[in-house]
Amino acid sequence: MKRVTSAVVGIGEVPSGKFPDRSELDAALTVCREAILDAGLGPRDIDVVLPVGALASSHWNVDLVFSRLTEELGMLRSAKMNCQVMAGGATSSSALAVADALIASGQARRVLVVHSDAVGSLPKQRGIDLFATTGVSEEWEAPYGHNMNAVGALATARYMHETGTTEEELASVCVSLRKWAALNPNAMYRTPLTIEEVLGSKMIATPLRSRHCNMLADGAAAFVVAPAKDAPSLTKTPVYVRGHGSLVTHYSMSQDTDLARLGFVEAGRAAYAESGLGAGDIQLAAIYDAYPVWPLIALDGLGLCAGERAGAFVAAGETSPGGSLPMTTNGGMLSMGHTGVGGGIAVLVEGVRQLMGKAGPRQVENLVNAVETASGGTWMDSHVTVLSREAA
Amino acid sequence: MSTQPRPLPQPSPWSAPYWEAARQRRFVIQACRACDRPIMYPRKFCPHCLGDDLEFRPSAGTGEIYTVTTQVAGPPSGFADALPYVIAVIRLDEGVQLMSNIVGDDRERARIGDRVRVDFETAGDGETVLPVFRLARAEGRAR
Ligand SMILES: [Zn+2]
Repeated sequence: MKRVTSAVVGIGEVPSGKFPDRSELDAALTVCREAILDAGLGPRDIDVVLPVGALASSHWNVDLVFSRLTEELGMLRSAKMNCQVMAGGATSSSALAVADALIASGQARRVLVVHSDAVGSLPKQRGIDLFATTGVSEEWEAPYGHNMNAVGALATARYMHETGTTEEELASVCVSLRKWAALNPNAMYRTPLTIEEVLGSKMIATPLRSRHCNMLADGAAAFVVAPAKDAPSLTKTPVYVRGHGSLVTHYSMSQDTDLARLGFVEAGRAAYAESGLGAGDIQLAAIYDAYPVWPLIALDGLGLCAGERAGAFVAAGETSPGGSLPMTTNGGMLSMGHTGVGGGIAVLVEGVRQLMGKAGPRQVENLVNAVETASGGTWMDSHVTVLSREAA
Repeated sequence: MSTQPRPLPQPSPWSAPYWEAARQRRFVIQACRACDRPIMYPRKFCPHCLGDDLEFRPSAGTGEIYTVTTQVAGPPSGFADALPYVIAVIRLDEGVQLMSNIVGDDRERARIGDRVRVDFETAGDGETVLPVFRLARAEGRAR
């Protein structure tokens, strides 16, 4: 068991969707301010800024790398370091692990992690082409027409083949997420969705239809991490980082030898061991989605389905409002919108928000422990973080 | 956007023999002379022992489908005219994997576990030849 060294003490977020008139800077400043104030801090308390990589505009990303937020937010000559963290969709868990380590080593005391991107405002074909480069090998995969929807489709086909998961069960993941999104004012899609609508939607890449595929969105979110020992003096609701585990399984998905499982068994085992907690202690799952197969793989790997197959568990309503394991209660990228790297940041922030008791109409009662997962590129890695209201 | 050409592989110094063999309609797999293991895709160093004494060996180009999808809509630029096309990860009999297309009139019948055999298709510029795969008839359809 690892000694707990850090806690998330503040969060900020703006709505996801198509906001062509809202700049990345505008959204970034809004969420940073919200997270810093939520943590009971001022800008000059922040000593390390970790801006997450942005994809839509290379100029904006260069601004993030070169301390623009540090200057805009009044942190000059107080911040010690502004340093980009980037692991695609896994940046959420990765940045939290980096912040935790910086704090554990005494290198940092107040770490601000921020994401803001506008991939939702890209023309549709540019969005498809951009994500056909994120973890797709230019030499060995792109010449065969590989792309992000095919990534989801290839993993889904293998997962269904190995587990016997049905099309209805797969669709039920989208339906469960939409039920949560209906309660989330920051989500992109909030109108109810049915299994029939999912199965009747246009085929994109077999077996995935359009309602199985996420939509790109503009969005931003931020969080502040502080030493565990300081956390109770900053906020009434610190969320402690209890354990983390991860495993890199591929760069190009054609090299992964176990697409139906990825690395979630190993990552989960490591995260549970560090935290001293097990699957039976977890009351909420903040699971990185993007396509419905990925939550199923993570739920299976983490042993969160009470001995059931994940597909059957989700189809029975266990992950929906009122179920035994509320999952990805912001609606996930399938309903809140895929904000690029930020999809995972939003999932992490939602897990923290629930543990803080700040989730409003979708607040889950009596929460103590939650798991958060993330994965980058073409699900190159499997990350699991255990978060808790309790420091030990 | 559909007028944009398909992306073509740009060979590296260590992958060039693979693509040159494909141009001659031969399928080869890289192997490490030090640890005698097959490597796919070709690497600069052996991913098993970091050895630099690598060679290309002839392969029958046979294997089975590990996973497969038919792209029906929403393709990347350059592939609109190819719809519907079939992307698969193939597990070769040597034990290594690669991505390719399943081609042929029966391509949409490709399923996980089907036996496949390599074939070759000339790509856009007329100079590049891509290894592709076809369902191996008798074995594949008997399932
Ligand atoms: Zn070797």
